[in-house]
Amino acid sequence: MFELVSSLRRHKHLVRDFVVRDLKGRYVGSTMGFFWSVLFPLVNLAIYAFVFRLVLKSRWSDQQPEEQTILLMFAGIVIWSAFSEAVARATTTLVENSNLIQKVVFPSEILPVYLGISSWVNMCIGLVFVLLAVTWYGYIDPLPAPTVPARPGDPEYMPLAFGGSLVLLPVLFALQYVFALGLGYLLSALNLFIRDVAHLIGVFLMVWMFATPIFYPPVMVVRAHYEWVLDLNPMYWLIEAYRDVLLFGQWPAVGGLLRFALVAALALLIGSSFFQKSKRRFPDLL
Amino acid sequence: MSTLATKTPPASGAATRTSAIYAENLSKCYRMYRKPSHRLWDMLFGLKTYQEFWAVRNVYLDIPHGSTVGIIGENGAGKSSLLKLLTGVTTPTTGKVEVAGRVASLLELGAGFHPEFSGRENIHLNCSILGMTREEIAERFESIVAFSELGDFIDRPVKTYSSGMYVRLGFSVAASVDPDILIIDEALSVGDEHFRGKCTNRLNEFRERGKTILFVSHDMGAVKSMCQWVVLMDRGEVLEQGTAEKVADEYLKRAHARGNERLSALNRGSSEYPRWGSGEVEVTGVEMVGPDGVASHVLRTGEPFSIRLRWKANQASKNPVFGVGIYRSDGTYVNGSNHHWRDQPLEVLDVQAGEEGEVLISTDQLALLQGQYYLTTFLYDHSKAAPTAIDHREHVLTFEVLDPKRHQHGMLRLNSRWRVTRRGPSGERNGESLA
Repeated sequence: MFELVSSLRRHKHLVRDFVVRDLKGRYVGSTMGFFWSVLFPLVNLAIYAFVFRLVLKSRWSDQQPEEQTILLMFAGIVIWSAFSEAVARATTTLVENSNLIQKVVFPSEILPVYLGISSWVNMCIGLVFVLLAVTWYGYIDPLPAPTVPARPGDPEYMPLAFGGSLVLLPVLFALQYVFALGLGYLLSALNLFIRDVAHLIGVFLMVWMFATPIFYPPVMVVRAHYEWVLDLNPMYWLIEAYRDVLLFGQWPAVGGLLRFALVAALALLIGSSFFQKSKRRFPDLL
Repeated sequence: MSTLATKTPPASGAATRTSAIYAENLSKCYRMYRKPSHRLWDMLFGLKTYQEFWAVRNVYLDIPHGSTVGIIGENGAGKSSLLKLLTGVTTPTTGKVEVAGRVASLLELGAGFHPEFSGRENIHLNCSILGMTREEIAERFESIVAFSELGDFIDRPVKTYSSGMYVRLGFSVAASVDPDILIIDEALSVGDEHFRGKCTNRLNEFRERGKTILFVSHDMGAVKSMCQWVVLMDRGEVLEQGTAEKVADEYLKRAHARGNERLSALNRGSSEYPRWGSGEVEVTGVEMVGPDGVASHVLRTGEPFSIRLRWKANQASKNPVFGVGIYRSDGTYVNGSNHHWRDQPLEVLDVQAGEEGEVLISTDQLALLQGQYYLTTFLYDHSKAAPTAIDHREHVLTFEVLDPKRHQHGMLRLNSRWRVTRRGPSGERNGESLA
């Protein structure tokens, strides 16, 4: 672990070059370039809003205006996409860079690191839209207060707002990054032993996404007596914390955040030690 | 193909020795599993289900600073595996390697190039990968661009490059790392004549500055002219190491023996080539004979050789004439002659049924240069107005010519004399050289 940190510190310029290459590489050669990184989450949102909001009518409560529901979904999508992108790309990154690993003395531990940073940058673009929407619907053109009474058991109505809890945002970023990096280290190394991991992870991430309350309120899961799914899902704790901070200016539940921090640290510990332990053999495995 | 790997080993240990590269009992064993997942079960539970493949075995190397060392051997002899161990890309199974100084290895030029990016951007990233610092990159950037001679292409995406341009860019980046030890894996056999010349100059420059060079090559000429020390590998082991002259000759001798084996097999099954004629007399066998008087399929340029035909008459024949044609493997007709068309013609008249004999065609110096050739034998009846075939055998024997010196190129060696004249203020000076 200590060795890993010192190696990353030594190669910080290389990490930066890789991030720059990756961000540029996504859009170099396409005419609209950077515009795609903006358009993509918006299209995603439009699809999910249509399916879940208009067709399936999912909503958090009777009191909630349409715009809030869509924003809740959008925030969830942006965060989930960044997380799953970092994990999925990290899984195959060693195989994709096999020419570097086999032909050069190359610090392969930087690969999952740069992918995490790169997906975080993309996430920030999406989050800017979330914050703009909160500014608009919370302050410039505020949504009307609810007129119907709350149903028993529904979550309490909260207006869109910013609050002092925004200072937690970097903490959330860091926790998410650590978790994704830990999984990335574990899966990328594992994928060299069992190449099926790359395929499995695609399916697994999709199941995980729908098991996380992104397009529906968690309360529906509780009502269906599937609370255990939420209790096992760290990404649920994280996304709820993000929503509290980004949309409502609330302080997130400390319990969930602490549990997430614990899981993330554990993932990084296991992932990085497995990676470091098998790293010596990467050139032989490719 | 170039990637240049750089690494600075820990100062301890290596610094106390005077060698640039020191390897002791170095071995690399690859484990061949039937399924990739078996590897994981092995790692977790110690189930040993693999077969071992020793790519490098018990290698001992001690290469002093400033020397140029060639590694030679046939394909699959473990040369590249050894280089990977020395550069630190792979870790040895047993033994140890100590490397003193910064290593740059050209195992693959242009590894890590991104096809969508321009040459300029790729230079930057590639330098970073090779471990150069920001300042070093900034300082050398222009000279890299200049060395690659890519012109306007430097600002176009690498995907539009020809393979030659790609390699040129790769080499330019790799050569700009200023290593103490340069390790090259056949990287120089690419590019056009002009660029190859530049690469060779760059290497000579390295050498003159007292850097250590280690390179793999199949070109004995390059090995002999550049290396003081040569390591011959075979099946993972060092078969012999010593001065370039000695080891390169050993290698050629082995190549010779191997070529003989391969060609005899080829010649045994060469009956698929056409053979025609009336058949009164038959050519029953053809051999190439080397300087030692032993039949061989491999000959050397400049050495005496002869062709021996054996014949047998089934019926009487009035005027049979034996001839031999030599062709290069691509079908080029190199030489043809017979015993009749000479200043002093031989006559073989009135051959009776049951007679047999030999024809020996000898030359003091084989004029053919390196390559593969084949023989066709002609046995024609010259007693009629136009010669008619008695026994014509196409492609009856394949043989190979080795030219260890490689002083001349092409198909034929000419015993030419050279004279170079210089005129200047200090008068006239002449240099002359025979053949």
